[in-house]
Amino acid sequence: MATACLLAVPFLGVAPFTLTLLTEALIFAIWAMSLDLLVGYTGLVTFGHAAAFGLAGYAAGWFAREIAPDFFLALAAAEAVVVVVAAATGFVATRVSGVAFAIISLAIAQVLFQIAVAWRAVTQGMDGLVGVPLPRLFGLTLGPGRDFYLLTAATVVTIYAGLRWLVDSPFGRTLHAIRTNEDRAAAIGIDVRLHKWLAFIVSWAIAGFGGTLLVFMKAGTTPMSLHWSESGNVLAMAIFGGLGTLVGPVVGAVAFVFLRDEFTTRFQAWQLAFGLVFVLVVLAFPSGLVGVAARLRSSVWARRS
Amino acid sequence: MDLNFLFISVLNGVVYGAFLLLTSLGLSLVFGLGRVVNFAHGALYALGGYALVEVMRRTGLGYWPALTAAPLVVFPVALAIERATIFPIRQRPDIYTLLVTFGVSFMVIGAIEQTWGTGTTLLTTPAPFTGTLDVLGNQYPRYRLFAAAVSLLVSAGVFALVQLTPVGLRIRAITDDAEMAEALGIDTKRLLTLVFGGAASLAAFAGALGAPIFAVHPDMGMSILLDSFLAVILGGLGNLPGSAIGAFVVALTKSIGGGYVADWSIAFLFVVVAVVLIVRPTGVFGRGRVA
Repeated sequence: MATACLLAVPFLGVAPFTLTLLTEALIFAIWAMSLDLLVGYTGLVTFGHAAAFGLAGYAAGWFAREIAPDFFLALAAAEAVVVVVAAATGFVATRVSGVAFAIISLAIAQVLFQIAVAWRAVTQGMDGLVGVPLPRLFGLTLGPGRDFYLLTAATVVTIYAGLRWLVDSPFGRTLHAIRTNEDRAAAIGIDVRLHKWLAFIVSWAIAGFGGTLLVFMKAGTTPMSLHWSESGNVLAMAIFGGLGTLVGPVVGAVAFVFLRDEFTTRFQAWQLAFGLVFVLVVLAFPSGLVGVAARLRSSVWARRS
Repeated sequence: MDLNFLFISVLNGVVYGAFLLLTSLGLSLVFGLGRVVNFAHGALYALGGYALVEVMRRTGLGYWPALTAAPLVVFPVALAIERATIFPIRQRPDIYTLLVTFGVSFMVIGAIEQTWGTGTTLLTTPAPFTGTLDVLGNQYPRYRLFAAAVSLLVSAGVFALVQLTPVGLRIRAITDDAEMAEALGIDTKRLLTLVFGGAASLAAFAGALGAPIFAVHPDMGMSILLDSFLAVILGGLGNLPGSAIGAFVVALTKSIGGGYVADWSIAFLFVVVAVVLIVRPTGVFGRGRVA
């Protein structure tokens, strides 16, 4: 039902600009869901999730520009790079948890940011990787707008279904156990470090889908995609929507993109407003929009019975 | 010739390390006291720089009175931030303090950009520290040496405060065992608010003191925040002497590495931190807490 609605949107006469915003929102939704796996389901709060997304963008963009603009090949190249980097950095980062993990993840993203600036031969430094061609799918070139939206929507639906399956699988349940009580999980024989490491890699790999889509949508990327504030943005989307729900981050990503558009065009005080909303949500509604909706619904039911 | 280049890199590292010491001590103190990880520390550092510029512009006073005013201006702001955002979530896991102060950081930087714009303000080196000094045949800016000396003195003052005074005794008691300290009648909440304000003032002072060297712009606090975090992790969270050594390890790695491999020095630094984390998860001295 929701899938049908999502795929029908471009045929309902939506303005092109709105469709562009919606495409971006869905790409961010992939990214925010991948963050949810790490933060909401495993309990590892990352402050460097821009690393996964931005790195995939660079890898896919470079591949499309230099080798072939085929979507699946570029995606495969991006995933290969992301998984290798995630395995290496995650091996270090998942040795710690809590605050230290948050800071180490931030440091990883900052290192990638510096590399994107410094490695001019590949990344073109601060100018960014520009001129990424339109993606080709099964030999056909995908146009911007409707074609690209459909590709994005299909990817979102697939990833949502895959993640839903994953979090309900024994692996997902194990992550949940680690999140609830790491010591107890270890005591019943779970290899905590291994599972955190795997969750880290899977989370980065999923973010890689989003990063690949975004680089094709924007036809390029810059080091700003790896900036710490981007990591803050994705964290805000997931928290605002509701962590540990998968639906929440999708809602959060859509709300984020449309609110940001509204705030930057009308008030020019996006950062201040963003900070204020972020603080209020963390202080007063830690379960996010989805959590508030669930609470309202249950209180209405309680009154009826 | 090459050795000379190394010498200057080391000197730059020591100067930067002295600044990092001021910011890391504040971070570490607040963490030890209330398990509060303050992401807004960098934004408060930037606010110190702007407070300096604003005081100089409004009152027409010179650099020196403004330098002393900057931490005083930031102090009440920090108290308000602590009461409004950290105080209500003291009962939640540590990570929430990082999340909420992350939002606060956006607010402060947003407010700075709203008030003063996104441009960079350059300050002239204040008299009588203009010009350079001959250090083993190298011309080195006088002000940098002076600022490093002041940072070291203030840091020594902070150490003395924590080690020698009754307030310091309370701070150490809470860092050791907050519940026990509370049972002995120490008002941990009030002390945390005050120490948070004090740590923010230290950061603001560092921002103002460094303004003639590093210039003033909205994002100025971010790289020093990350470096301070790494310093504090290296030294062991909540361990003050460890943080001090961590600050110099980070600063020297960055400046010496930066002298030879330019922008790649942060990657090098990350490798150093990664090795430390694998070998000693509680910090180099093993006395910090596993966060």
